[in-house]
Amino acid sequence: MSKVFSIEEFATFDGPGIRMTVFLKGCPLDCVWCHNPEGKSPLTEYVRSPNGCLKCGACERAGIKTADGVKLTADSVNACPRNLVRKCGIDYSPRELTDKIMKNAAVLNLNGGGVTFSGGEPLFDTDFLCECIKLLKGKVHVAVQTSGFAPEKNFQRVLELADYFLYDLKIMNPSDHKKYCGADNALILNNYRTLAKSKVPFVTRIPLIPTVTDTVENLTAIASFVKENNVNYVETLPYNKLAGSKYALVLKEYHPGFDESRPVNTGEKLFASMGVTARKM
Amino acid sequence: MTEKVKNRLEFLLDGGYRKTRADGGVNLTSALNEFNPAMRSAQLFKAALDAEEPVLYGEDLFGFNRFNRLLPVDDTLNAPYIFEMGNITVDYETVLETGIEGLKKLAQQKYEGADEEAKRFYDALFVTFDACARIVEKYRTAAQKAGCEKLYNALSAVPLHGARDYYEALVTVHFLQYALRLNNVNHVTIGRFDQYMYPYYLASVKNGASREELLELTELFFISLNFDTDLYTGMQQGDNGQSMVLGGCDEEGNPSFNELSEMCLTASEELKIIDPKINLRVNKNTPLSVYERGTRLTKQGLGFPQYSNDDVVIDALVDWGYDLKDARNYTVAACWEFIVPRCGADIPNIGVMNFPLVVDRAVRKHLASSANFDEFLAYVGREIADECDSIIEDCNKFRTPYSVFTSGFILHCIEKGRDVSQGGAEYNNFGVHGAGISNAADALAAIKKLIFEKKELSCAQLIAALDADFNGYGELRRKLLECPKMGNNDDYVDELGTFLIDKFALFLNKRPNNRGGIYRAGTGSAMEYVLSAAKVGATADGRRAGQAYGSSFSPSLDAVIQGPLSAVQSFTKADLKKVCNGGPFTIEIHDTVFRNSEGEKKTAALIKTFIDLGGHQIQINAVNRDRLIDAQKHPEKYPNLIVRVWGWSGYFRELDTCYQDHIIRRTEFTF
Repeated sequence: MSKVFSIEEFATFDGPGIRMTVFLKGCPLDCVWCHNPEGKSPLTEYVRSPNGCLKCGACERAGIKTADGVKLTADSVNACPRNLVRKCGIDYSPRELTDKIMKNAAVLNLNGGGVTFSGGEPLFDTDFLCECIKLLKGKVHVAVQTSGFAPEKNFQRVLELADYFLYDLKIMNPSDHKKYCGADNALILNNYRTLAKSKVPFVTRIPLIPTVTDTVENLTAIASFVKENNVNYVETLPYNKLAGSKYALVLKEYHPGFDESRPVNTGEKLFASMGVTARKM
Repeated sequence: MTEKVKNRLEFLLDGGYRKTRADGGVNLTSALNEFNPAMRSAQLFKAALDAEEPVLYGEDLFGFNRFNRLLPVDDTLNAPYIFEMGNITVDYETVLETGIEGLKKLAQQKYEGADEEAKRFYDALFVTFDACARIVEKYRTAAQKAGCEKLYNALSAVPLHGARDYYEALVTVHFLQYALRLNNVNHVTIGRFDQYMYPYYLASVKNGASREELLELTELFFISLNFDTDLYTGMQQGDNGQSMVLGGCDEEGNPSFNELSEMCLTASEELKIIDPKINLRVNKNTPLSVYERGTRLTKQGLGFPQYSNDDVVIDALVDWGYDLKDARNYTVAACWEFIVPRCGADIPNIGVMNFPLVVDRAVRKHLASSANFDEFLAYVGREIADECDSIIEDCNKFRTPYSVFTSGFILHCIEKGRDVSQGGAEYNNFGVHGAGISNAADALAAIKKLIFEKKELSCAQLIAALDADFNGYGELRRKLLECPKMGNNDDYVDELGTFLIDKFALFLNKRPNNRGGIYRAGTGSAMEYVLSAAKVGATADGRRAGQAYGSSFSPSLDAVIQGPLSAVQSFTKADLKKVCNGGPFTIEIHDTVFRNSEGEKKTAALIKTFIDLGGHQIQINAVNRDRLIDAQKHPEKYPNLIVRVWGWSGYFRELDTCYQDHIIRRTEFTF
């Protein structure tokens, strides 16, 4: 069993063709700019849509107090007079989840599309992910969108099964990576080398976070790293101020700790000068 | 777009020109009493035309702008059971070739030896044609005076004589839009513009006209169609019938998407104005590139093109008795109804099957006594049959008034000497909308699940909850809302949708109407998804009293939908050839999806998927600012509106207000 916090059927930026994207709960990293805060915890949560909220407090009275603040509960769902509280994180067995995906297989295959496992971090529960891919193998194209932060053994198992990877490279400096993402990047770089050596197709994706990842120093380091691995095409994802919009859902405030308003450096020229084509998504 | 086009567009959008109109609207009812019905119609038209004075805006290429705000009034047209003659695509081909003089000549030839009714028709027709000649002459003189040299030259030929090039042909089509509306026809469609105009387009190319010149002309013509649309209100502003149909196949079945089709898409994309409304005909052989071209237009957020599937529609029309060549030539009426151009005079929007109301009737009459769900479903089938009988009885009381001038542009009316209201046209069928199919199927699914399978709910409890509009029954309503909903690719409920469609088709299709035609079933809702729904109490799907149904062939507003892939599969399970009066599957996609060519291509693939699965018609909306603002005020109305930003998505209603504001600002609209 693993928890799914969202299944999106028309994911237009998550790999080739028309794709279904499954967002699995649970992530070992803690990136300050994370736009899916409800995907971090591997546990079921109850989330509250802020719009139309009467601020009557009924949901919080039905919740439980923790050191982190109030946690909403199943009782909060019924307590809300506007029906704004919902369960986030539905349990699926690999069979249940893949049956759901297979219902769309014909349509996905019609367009050279498939399914993308995202998150959270889909390798957080590697056993579950591998089970799912095995059930889908040969029936529908499977992509994995990953931070690469997973034990090498786990990564290797997924690499043997998946058809395609969308692989994030964020920060090259290990201590900066630890500062902004909550962990060192050695595993990520190692797994990337393994991926690049394999025959599995993949695309490298770089989130452009103002003053954090978009610095000349960092982008240069990324460019030379991908070149070392014989990669000459990357996709950049410029930071969008909407990143914080889901924090209200999980009753948190978004304080990313960098200047959100600063325009990002897309680094196209920098990449080009190093022989790498960077496409802004 | 050229400077000239830009200026013209600014002039249109400013709207100041509307202030100079006269009132008009004189009541002629008693003055017309002396005439026979055909002549009465002709005299009313003549009065309208003779009351017009030339209105030229600057260096006007097309003229024929409205002088009077209102038309002369004949109160007999407002009597009960009189149906406006409209929603037709006239025979542009013939008038472009021979001009009005050619039509007049044909009538003169037929006059000798014609019966009395035909002679009365021809006499009336001559009155209308003479009135045309007078207004054309007035405009010609005015054009000369105002220095509109091109228009002056064109009016020496068209619309009285045949067109020789693209520009003259445009003047003719524009004149017909103007004149037919002065004949009380509110929904005059443009039809297969890229087909009937193509020979004239090619003639201009041959004469040395450049692509740029022809595009400029096309754009100026499109703008000209918008000047007086504020006067052509149907149910609301914009409901004026100026549908244009592009692509598809020719009468022999060969692909007919051409240079001019492409040019029209470009013009619409650049102008971003509501008329003409673009429809794109596609079929199993249409390459993805055509869909991609269409998607670039969708991106503008205007809600077009609307796509229709030749493979489904043509077969359906042939099955309903249309000649294969006519069927291959099909066009779209004011909204989505499939009609044939030139020789058709169907009334494709004469009635409506209100599905949720019919299911509710069955609940109240038969649910308590039904031993199992199948028995109840059989009663629903019987209620549909009864409703079809009652729709037909009611609609057969309708007649259309004489519409002599319009008849002049419908093939065979002149040859037969019969007004369109008297059977002059080839096709005289009636179309009936099917509103609220999803709500009705969802209601049946909830009844099946909660009453017959889980036995959690009794018939009496359900009826009590419906009567109370769920006040005090919040928990029950939640259970109803959690039952399977159409749009999630769930056979449990989709099969019930198919049942409703099959029964509607079985009891309505091909039954005779009062004009020698037949009835045709459809999946459209027109305004009924709001109007009919407003009068219907709470329903077993969990819908509250008075709340709107899903628009046309779409999920209900209360349904939580997994996504567009599930939805396209749900809505292509039924045999849609049976309900080809029309009515689109409608899907809303946030325009951020179109941010780069990747999203455009995928949207195109999604549309192609719907068509390849046997869908009949699809409208895809890039959600625009107004809708987002409304969604912010009424989040409950837009439960499934997805906003795509950066590499992730969220439900619009779940975003914090400041982020919603941000998105709204970013999607700011120009019109």
